[in-house]
Amino acid sequence: MLLFRTVFEWVDTFESSIAIRESLYVYPYLLVAHVVGMCLFVGTVAMMDLRLAGWGNNSSPLSQVQAKLFPWQVLGLVLSGITGMVLLYGQPMRYYGNIFFWVKMVMMALAAVNAMIFHRTAYRSIAAWDTDARPPLGARVAGASSLFLWGAVIICGRLIAYNWFE
Amino acid sequence: MQAFFEWMNGLAVSTAIRESVWFYTVDQAFHLVALGIFAGAVLVVDLRLLGRGMREQPIAKIAKDAEPWFIGAFLVLALTGIPQMISNAMREYYSEFFWFKMEVMVVALIFTFTLRRKVAMAEEGRVAPIWLKMVGLASIVLWLGVAIPARLIGLFT
Repeated sequence: MLLFRTVFEWVDTFESSIAIRESLYVYPYLLVAHVVGMCLFVGTVAMMDLRLAGWGNNSSPLSQVQAKLFPWQVLGLVLSGITGMVLLYGQPMRYYGNIFFWVKMVMMALAAVNAMIFHRTAYRSIAAWDTDARPPLGARVAGASSLFLWGAVIICGRLIAYNWFE
Repeated sequence: MQAFFEWMNGLAVSTAIRESVWFYTVDQAFHLVALGIFAGAVLVVDLRLLGRGMREQPIAKIAKDAEPWFIGAFLVLALTGIPQMISNAMREYYSEFFWFKMEVMVVALIFTFTLRRKVAMAEEGRVAPIWLKMVGLASIVLWLGVAIPARLIGLFT
């Protein structure tokens, strides 16, 4: 964690970081854009996950839900990712000392790992079950896990504002 | 109206929420999770109306699949929104963002269950693509008009 601390403390001294921190409007508007980006990203990811889990959007083949929503997931990720990084850049030490920030980062990493595992396992045989309302177990687990992990990311993100454990 | 908000603010349950360390926060967190699902249920249909997203699927099927998630997520949003409103009633009453959000929400809901639903469920080809696009765009703009001021209520009071 020492490396993180050094980098965060260093960024904290940047003039541009201080400028964001001290601005009256930049920070709130970044927060708004972060939430809008989250809606686009989590919304389109969740619709795909529901299909994977067999809980929703079952009239459409999974390959359609996945491939056609993918560009929108990327767009949402870019918007929430960039605004998130600027938020972090503006108050690095605030986030450094916040347990929810770190739990959120871990949950995001786990969500990425979950997606990677899915692509290397159940997804390979997608042609065989593309239109099934109840995909194979591996796919259902991947969908449910993704829903859970992104839900946890949102919850932790909101809780960052409340520093209970400092 | 002011009396109604003062009454909400004075309820024993409002005081209990204000005095609880975690209730309001956890409630807000689940409000946001429901927002994520809600946004997805709105967007799969609106993107399709705009001629994007799941283009190869019939609009009516996508809309039918999305509707239970739209309704379910909205109910969770309302259930988690009410405690936030009653425990903070006077802040909400004096917040322009709150009133803007609520007014647009009423319009968005009526629009969703009348015009948008009719257009989305219509037989393929009955509604000209330009009108599909207008409806999809209007829906996105309306829901953004709910979500954006909502985030601002707590930031500018």
